[in-house]
Amino acid sequence: MNFPQTLVDVWRRLTWTWQPQSEKESGDAVVKNLLLHWFPNKVSLSSISWSYSFWLGTVSFVLFLILCFTGLVLMFLYVPSVERAYGSVKDLEFVVSFGWLLRSMHRISAHLMVATVFLHMVRVFLTGAYKNGAAAGAQRPLNWIVGIMLLILTLLLSFTGYLLPWDQLAYWAITVGTNIASSAPLVGEATRFVLLGGTTIEQATLIRFYVLHVFFLPLGVFFLFAYHMWRVRKDGGLAAVDREDRSATPAPTVPVKSKTYSLLGITNGASVHVQTKGVEEEQASVSAVPHLLRRILVVAIVTTVLTIILSIIFTAPLEAPANPSVTPNPAKAPWYFLWLQEIVTVTTVSLGPVTINGALVGGILLPGLLVFLAVWWPYRDRSGLGSVGVWFAPERRRQNMVFLAICLLIILFTIIGTFLRGPYWNFYWPWESWPTTPVKF
Amino acid sequence: MQRQPDIDHGTASMTTTTPSPLGADNSRRQFLHRLGIGALVAGVAGFVAQSLRSLIPNVLYEPSQRFKVGLPGTLPEGMTFLEDRRLYVFKEGRSYFAISGACTHLGCTVKYTKLNQPKQVELSSGLATINHEFHCPCHGSKFYADGTNYAGPAPRPLRWYRLELSPDDGQLVADLGQEVDQGFRLTV
Repeated sequence: MNFPQTLVDVWRRLTWTWQPQSEKESGDAVVKNLLLHWFPNKVSLSSISWSYSFWLGTVSFVLFLILCFTGLVLMFLYVPSVERAYGSVKDLEFVVSFGWLLRSMHRISAHLMVATVFLHMVRVFLTGAYKNGAAAGAQRPLNWIVGIMLLILTLLLSFTGYLLPWDQLAYWAITVGTNIASSAPLVGEATRFVLLGGTTIEQATLIRFYVLHVFFLPLGVFFLFAYHMWRVRKDGGLAAVDREDRSATPAPTVPVKSKTYSLLGITNGASVHVQTKGVEEEQASVSAVPHLLRRILVVAIVTTVLTIILSIIFTAPLEAPANPSVTPNPAKAPWYFLWLQEIVTVTTVSLGPVTINGALVGGILLPGLLVFLAVWWPYRDRSGLGSVGVWFAPERRRQNMVFLAICLLIILFTIIGTFLRGPYWNFYWPWESWPTTPVKF
Repeated sequence: MQRQPDIDHGTASMTTTTPSPLGADNSRRQFLHRLGIGALVAGVAGFVAQSLRSLIPNVLYEPSQRFKVGLPGTLPEGMTFLEDRRLYVFKEGRSYFAISGACTHLGCTVKYTKLNQPKQVELSSGLATINHEFHCPCHGSKFYADGTNYAGPAPRPLRWYRLELSPDDGQLVADLGQEVDQGFRLTV
């Protein structure tokens, strides 16, 4: 018996329901292969360029994969109970082999993911990539909205994640977060009750946030991401392709029998959804395998290596165990929420006898307005086709300015919150020392 | 919807006294079709509703809102902070009152801050000299000694809660379910 041949046969039986019996069937097999359909057959050089997209979306997804892998391992080691959560995280830091690295990688990739998803959004805006190009049936604005939802999910994942160690940061973040929810008119108190699973922050709260963190939110990201990628292809690829198409000099052509490149020319018929001129030109495009695949692998490796290096340099901190009676001073959210913390601090407004809590204005109305603006913007943007897939298109200068101003404001608030706020949320310059305040009295 | 006539259509019309027109047959099918879909939707909706309802607790295993603080005489003059309840209990001679330590902005625990020198402020009860204030570490809200907010994002004064004497053993009882106004004093 030829043993290796048997092994090959067994492997084939396990992985194939059917084997090609002819050249034609072999061709069909390629066409039907999911992995080869993950990518288009050919990609334009402009869409795999480093400097157009900076590959921020890919980086975000690689980080999401790192988070899934490290998170899965962490699920074996973490106990979502009020009594034991803090202890199990402490064990991760000091007892479990490489536990500190797992936790640190999970945390650093979460931080990086918030940053890259945000930057990805900035890139898409500044290149006008949410605008429909020439492709029929394109729905780029819809995909932009999916992207906004992914950004919100990323923030929710971070929020639910840093609650789990059940340290001071966790406890006071839930306190502030759920009180923001309860400041909503009418439904606020009920929302807080459901979020907490009661009126106080206890076991019911921890398990709720845990299940959201390890199941529902990642599931949401997974499905939305899949849809996001599918839409990118249905919408005619990256917006850079549209720019390419426009700049290409249209050669006088006679009508030819068209074919769909995605089916490798084996099957007849054409679909306008996948036809673009640019990618069919030899000079402007390359095969997705290996060129696109290679770049994706490079991005994945660089991202992973960077994440590991950063996690070794910046190890994950663990504050004192959650203590409901002592609020840390200052009590700061993670950096990506500090702009919100800054806003809820300054937005309590008095209109005559009525005082509106900053929690409602800065915690619900203003972020809600920002999300609404983001969703509405692509439909308001009436700039021409000339600014699709172009960095800083002159026609979109004014809207780019407004968008950048909002982004800079958020970044400015983040910087103030991170570096310039001390005890009692007072303002301190970096060179000023904070007064020593008693930790406990 | 176009449909091939069923094979059993003929037999169906044979058993009825009046020949069933295709339309009537269709409407019965349509009805059963809608009934099926409706039952499915109702079933799924019911399942979702009961799943969600199960997440709203019916019993809270939380400490009671009413609790004993101790015998009035055992409390020291001035402020006592009940950590677990985030409640500041004050004793001024023979009168007692309690102010919540939860900031009215976003619920952080305010800190009792002794002033370096007494300060003259306008309170709801009139001009008063205060020796301490409450400051919130989260967003910098500040409250006078009686809980009146005067700086930062807090939209309203700190809450005051009712104190009473337990009829059985004479202990001081605080009730976090009953808010009272700033003039409240329990005199023993």
